[in-house]
Amino acid sequence: MAPATATKLGYTPPDGGWGWAVVFGAFISIGFSYAFPKSLTIYFKEIQEYFFVSYSEIAWLSSVMLASMYAGGPVSSLLVNRYGSRPVVMVGGLMVSTGMILASFGRTIVHLYLCVGVIGGLGLAFNLQPALTIIGTYFQVKRPLANGLAMTGSPVVLFTLAPLNQFLFDSFGWRGSFLILGSIVLNCCVAGALMRPVNKNSRSQGCVHKIIDPTLFKHRGFLIYLIGNVVMFFGFFAPVVFLAPYAKHQGIDEYSAAFLLSIFALVDMFIRPATGFIGNTKWIRPRIQYFFSFAVSYNGVCHLICPLLPGYVGLVVYAIFFGLAFGMLSALLFEVLMDLVGAHRFSSAVGLVTIIECGPVLLGPPLSGALVDIFGEYKYMYYACGVFMLVPGIFFFIMHYFNYKKLDEERRQTVALEMRTCDEAWMKHSESNFPEGLI
Amino acid sequence: MSSSWEQLFFQILLLVVFCRHINTKTPGPTPPPLVSINSPLPTDIRSVVLKGESHTESVELLNPVNLTLECTWTGNQNKLPNITGFWRKDGDEVENSRLTVQLENDQYNLKRVFSIISEENLGNYSCMFESEAKIDFVLAAPHMHEVRDKPIVSYVGDSVVIVCKMEETKPKPSTWNWYKANGTDKEQIFTAAEPLRYEIKNDERKTKLVVYNLTEADGGLYYCGAVYAINTTMGLVELKVINFTEPLKPFIAITVEVIVLVVAIMFYERYQSKKNYTAGKGMNDQTNTLTQGENNEPEEGSSMRQRKV
Repeated sequence: MAPATATKLGYTPPDGGWGWAVVFGAFISIGFSYAFPKSLTIYFKEIQEYFFVSYSEIAWLSSVMLASMYAGGPVSSLLVNRYGSRPVVMVGGLMVSTGMILASFGRTIVHLYLCVGVIGGLGLAFNLQPALTIIGTYFQVKRPLANGLAMTGSPVVLFTLAPLNQFLFDSFGWRGSFLILGSIVLNCCVAGALMRPVNKNSRSQGCVHKIIDPTLFKHRGFLIYLIGNVVMFFGFFAPVVFLAPYAKHQGIDEYSAAFLLSIFALVDMFIRPATGFIGNTKWIRPRIQYFFSFAVSYNGVCHLICPLLPGYVGLVVYAIFFGLAFGMLSALLFEVLMDLVGAHRFSSAVGLVTIIECGPVLLGPPLSGALVDIFGEYKYMYYACGVFMLVPGIFFFIMHYFNYKKLDEERRQTVALEMRTCDEAWMKHSESNFPEGLI
Repeated sequence: MSSSWEQLFFQILLLVVFCRHINTKTPGPTPPPLVSINSPLPTDIRSVVLKGESHTESVELLNPVNLTLECTWTGNQNKLPNITGFWRKDGDEVENSRLTVQLENDQYNLKRVFSIISEENLGNYSCMFESEAKIDFVLAAPHMHEVRDKPIVSYVGDSVVIVCKMEETKPKPSTWNWYKANGTDKEQIFTAAEPLRYEIKNDERKTKLVVYNLTEADGGLYYCGAVYAINTTMGLVELKVINFTEPLKPFIAITVEVIVLVVAIMFYERYQSKKNYTAGKGMNDQTNTLTQGENNEPEEGSSMRQRKV
């Protein structure tokens, strides 16, 4: 699979050099995209009192932000296809910053929904997609490792933002903190500055970047990924959200429950680059889809076993194993998509995937919460999440077995043919769009 | 004749004065005030069995009560047939409380009724067996635990909401009061006096004090009082009022850092591409250099137009 994609790109990605600076930039962008919405929850209680709103009204802030982030995916992909990663990330950073600064002057909760939720969420979408895309342009041979390292940004930034936000809140209240956070997220612009566009050999460009790529829906690998992910995301985030409440429900005190989340985050932090490294090895790389299928299934098994583990020790064991599972899956999540569709179609693919995943991501936690409310206990929620992850895991194993077989067949037949067609298409495209030519 | 009328008048006058005098003077020591003059105090009992040397029992009271405290001690190695037992309140021995306690059913038993009417009657009551065994009863109205220990921060000209909550597990207070600390004193806040500045919103278990149009003078300690018939328990919250220039300083500092870094990165890129432009001018075959090493890759960039990523 790997060699075929490289020739499709038409140039040899650097696989290092400035690429590691780009990985660091992506680390920051991805980190803020995932961790920033989660870290804002510290301010919710005070904002709820200040604006005299209910708990669900304040929780809407998170939902609006997440929805904007996922719905903004295709817009982000479009812009990246047209302008490249760097400008989009820098604009994204400016948007989140503006949103937070405006929010610090907010007089109503709706003002906050718009500034933090819509503008902020969209700005984060403009950080996530381009960061993932640019890795695919700089790395081929070491791509799983690069992806794993970049995805580590999420737990690391969360680990840093959580105590920082607490400190800001204690020193400046919510308004001052929002103002200062507005300046902190400007560091996404620094990350964007690092995302120097990669130099491509003028000789052959490979297939042209389409602005929007609906043919992806005919792509077998993409469809497998999409179907599996949509089901999986129903059960992906809820166990994280409910880990502390579940612990408190068992009678564990607040600090020990919070400590569980710290254990989870710490394990997550270390397993992501490790997974990237393992995914890069010559045994795993050619069949990396199986590695991903294993990660998904492993998550499912963890959740199914969780309710059976007794006491605080049981929960600590669960937190460790869940941290491993969650980290493994996160590190591979976008790598396998790149592996399936290729780096040049990745941007469009990830945009489509995020907007479709919007549904399960937003519905998952409230549905799980409803399960807890109906049955009065957490174990049915964990069983449900376990099933929602184990079934796609097995689905992935089966489907990828067939997919790999077909791909091997196709590769033998069509590699040469594709190269010729791509060259022709590029020639046509370059004449119409780039009259100066390159050589 | 007139002198007898004068005498009668004078006597009646004296009688009236004397009677009034009787009515205004109270004969003995003031009897202890009762909450309700018509109905007697309710009664309650608290018993503790002590096996070791000491034990502390928390007693939560809401209303005035005639509280019976009962202590039972299993004794030590020498089970003396008679020992001395007495009571203490807040460390001082209660008058006439010393008794001789007999060993019954292998236990020593001490019991006393206390009238708990107001705040002075609350405190730490201890029953002592000789000087060996002690059981403490801490009598208090329900206390709030969920009060914020760090100061609440707000801004000049903004408004703030200070919240006090009594946990679900504790009984609800009959009402809530708010006080602002003035030196060592507390001044109660009455919203009727300053409706544009203060607002108090009371729920059963929660109370909110809203202060509008904050000034720096509004900063300081605030007390929320949960009012129970027996006593009002206080929760302490500190308010800090700061100027908007305070968070502006770190904001500007971090923005400057971002600008410096972005400019530095851009200049570095410009510098690198200039360096490679002069170096790369002489190169004909870019394909060869591409495969050479990772370092060469970005240096190539200058001579070629940057394609979109």
